[in-house]
Amino acid sequence: MKKYATFLWDCFRLSFVGDWRYHLWMTILTLVSLAGLNAYCHQLVHGLVATGMTDQVSWGLYIANFTYLVGLAAAAAMLVIPVYIYRNMHLHDVVIFGELLAVAVIVMCLLFVMVDLGRPDRFMHLLWRFNFPISMLTWDVIALNGYLLLNLHICGYLIYCAYCGRKPSPVFYVPFVFIAIVWAISIHTVTAFLYVGLGGRPFWNSAIIAPRFLASAFAAGPAFIILTLQIVRRFTRHRVADDALLALRRIVQVAMIINIFLLICEVFTEFYTDSAHVASSQYLYFGLHGRHGLVPWIWTAIGMNLVATLLLVLPASRGLRVLNLACILAIAGIWIEKGMGLIVPAFVPTPLGEIVEYYPTVHEIVIGAGIWAFGLLLYTIFVRVSVPVLAGELTYDKRAGRSVQMGLAKE
Amino acid sequence: MALLLVLNPLPFHSPVAPPAQIPGWATDTTPVRQPKMKPEYQVALFKFECNACHGIIPPPANTQVRTVTQHREVVLKHGINTWCLNCHHPQNRNVLVNDRGEEIPWDQPQRLCAKCHGPVYRDWLHGAHGRTNGYWDTSRGEQSRRKCIECHDPHQPPFPPMRPAPGPETLRMGPQGPGEHGEVHNPLRLTGYGEGVAAGYLEPEEGN
Amino acid sequence: MGDSREQDTGSAAERNSSELTRRGFLSHGVVALAGTSAVAAALAPLAHLKRDDIPTIEEFLQKHYKEMTAEDKERVFSRIAKAVESRYQVRTKLADPPPMAGVEFVYGLNLSRCIGCRKCVHACVEENNQSRSPEIQYIRVLEMQKGSIDVETSDHHYDPPLVPNSAKYYMPVQCHQCADPPCVKVCPVEATWQEPDGITVIDYDWCIGCRYCEAACPYWARRFNFAEPEIAPDQVNPNMAYLSNRPREKGVMEKCTYCLHRTRVGRMPACLEVCPTGSRKFGNVLDPASEVAYILRHKRVYVFKEDVGTIPRFFYYFDERGSRYSEPIAPAGTGGSG
Repeated sequence: MKKYATFLWDCFRLSFVGDWRYHLWMTILTLVSLAGLNAYCHQLVHGLVATGMTDQVSWGLYIANFTYLVGLAAAAAMLVIPVYIYRNMHLHDVVIFGELLAVAVIVMCLLFVMVDLGRPDRFMHLLWRFNFPISMLTWDVIALNGYLLLNLHICGYLIYCAYCGRKPSPVFYVPFVFIAIVWAISIHTVTAFLYVGLGGRPFWNSAIIAPRFLASAFAAGPAFIILTLQIVRRFTRHRVADDALLALRRIVQVAMIINIFLLICEVFTEFYTDSAHVASSQYLYFGLHGRHGLVPWIWTAIGMNLVATLLLVLPASRGLRVLNLACILAIAGIWIEKGMGLIVPAFVPTPLGEIVEYYPTVHEIVIGAGIWAFGLLLYTIFVRVSVPVLAGELTYDKRAGRSVQMGLAKE
Repeated sequence: MALLLVLNPLPFHSPVAPPAQIPGWATDTTPVRQPKMKPEYQVALFKFECNACHGIIPPPANTQVRTVTQHREVVLKHGINTWCLNCHHPQNRNVLVNDRGEEIPWDQPQRLCAKCHGPVYRDWLHGAHGRTNGYWDTSRGEQSRRKCIECHDPHQPPFPPMRPAPGPETLRMGPQGPGEHGEVHNPLRLTGYGEGVAAGYLEPEEGN
Repeated sequence: MGDSREQDTGSAAERNSSELTRRGFLSHGVVALAGTSAVAAALAPLAHLKRDDIPTIEEFLQKHYKEMTAEDKERVFSRIAKAVESRYQVRTKLADPPPMAGVEFVYGLNLSRCIGCRKCVHACVEENNQSRSPEIQYIRVLEMQKGSIDVETSDHHYDPPLVPNSAKYYMPVQCHQCADPPCVKVCPVEATWQEPDGITVIDYDWCIGCRYCEAACPYWARRFNFAEPEIAPDQVNPNMAYLSNRPREKGVMEKCTYCLHRTRVGRMPACLEVCPTGSRKFGNVLDPASEVAYILRHKRVYVFKEDVGTIPRFFYYFDERGSRYSEPIAPAGTGGSG
């Protein structure tokens, strides 16, 4: 127990150590997080009127980001599957970064749900009367928290073992890895079911939403990790082989193609049928009765996704510069598409045909940015701590000689 | 940073509009008409029973449409029902008349209307037409049923058009206005039927 | 929050980990102080929280309506009544009328007769203590195109000098009190449920404000208190019940309850009482002699969005013109007055 406390304390201390770029980055993230906290305090005082949401469009930026981030969280699975199921060892060394990402991102998800609640002070009611298994939201609560615990356990165990300088025992983590793979797919599916199960919202009430979720998640997640890994290998001594990046590239490539294909299926079904249910899609892609709020966004997203897919298919994307561009485009494109593009149009028009557009307020945007900053902050710390520990530079045994640790700190 | 936040960089400006002014009539439950349920005619401050005059004046020979010299405030727009004595008893003006020439008391107008408006009368009998107020559970309290003439002017029966109460003004609703919905070609709406016309009087509905 | 990371910012120079030196101790202290004060400043807006906004221990521990014993209810209701009195200067006794045995409420609305005057909307607001600012209304009256039942061609904001417009018809929509309510299904905390008489209610003190039910409702019948609801004290209706029209707080959902504080004691709902045309019909569908039972048996009935499968207890009906000759008209005299 004492050893574990020492471990936590070392992790805590390590997170403050770095060069000036690290500190600048952390400072910026902290400032943005605090600005978000400040805006959230306003929201607590005045109510959700501080956001742009209305009875007509009752979910907005928060739930949009939540949806996107659930996708990102499952990215870990896309690193784990090749390693543990297909024995593709290119990715073995980077799996942990995927899982750490999952932890940080799930924390962001939970924060986005919290800030969306009208009465966060009654959060405990979830424990007292939990409408399981009827409400899909309860499934999501279980799925997300379960995934968080699974990944915390896997990462924590691996890192702690490295800290203690012993070889991790497969019994304590391999079964969990396999559970986590299934669980990663389930968090998506359950989150998709959250929307799909609502008969009153034809825009969501489509079986393709869950597969589209998975496809876009498996594109955006690994794309995010490709970028992260390059940052890791640039700023730390952790070596990441190009092969790992290229293995991830292949995942992003396939997922993007499937994502675009499913998008085409969806768009065709809606517009060729041209039934009364097309209104929301009409609003999203072309505008409805003179309201065009989302049109520029969705076309930007589609453009980004198309260019990203094209780049990924071209051999040129084996070069890192092109790959990075494609990844950034894919991440941003999917963020718009899965976020605003999936949540908001389902509310426009309302089930009674009224059209009220949604524009996030400054407070809402700052709160969202704050949560993102906080998530990145967490992830930075995780990476900052895990790299030297996993490299065996910081262990319990070495701790005795303080000088060793100082040496590490100055890396 | 602390200083920056103390300055409250993100003040909250409420988008909540002040409460809308709702006119009192919007929540008034009084029926649109309060007819006298007795054969009484009023001229200035004087009230007469109908037969006060009609008991003396003989009934006119009902042979052709005439312009009335009395009761000129009555505008008769009741479809094809253009004869006073279709409804008013020819001999006893204190009562109404049924198809067999028998008397219908003044406070039972529904029996008169039923002469032509059978289906509506049947619906009214069962509460599917007309106002029912008070208690749905008659074992707990009184229920009131409105009679035909408490909503319909017998001489101009269509329900009178009225000013609509204020429309919705919800939070962050944005500009909304009537008639913003575009229309594609729809054969069902080619008739241009009464477009833009406040109806009621203009569109007498048979079978009312 | 990730507050304490803050400290590195202040002192640009020192990154030493030997906190035992005085310099290190000082710089850590300064940095921790700066971090703490930044967090405190970020939290500053909370100073504007009103006392009512912070749940008391008693409120925090209040049980779900269904778990409250008679004594619990008495205590909670008197506390709420006191809160209402201090806020609105209105003396009230919070009622809790139970569902009546053998009663299932159903609402009928005659589309042939509704003239779109919107009186029901405002009578409802007045009866049910909805927020006037921001405006919350349970009933939406749709001006529909003749030849279409598609709400997307409807107009919610019509404002002609006179209604009805003969080229249109009018369809008021409110909670349909579905027999298979999607809003109840989705609620993660069981804050909303269907009562034995068919009314779907909300425990306003249990709702966490996730608005999932609002997304789930195909009739757009649920409303959320985005801001603190505002009602002028002289407009508060003192006849209130726990599950229906007691004043709500910000951050919770609310909805039409068929005026259960009225209807469960035998009265008609407020929207019906005010309807000038008698287009609204309410009653116990289990009673074959009721008006609604008659309408369901004999009239042409339309269920809005029947395809979403929620099985509403609210239906629309039409007046046919001169049909059903086979049915006898009751002999005159039986239908004198009523």
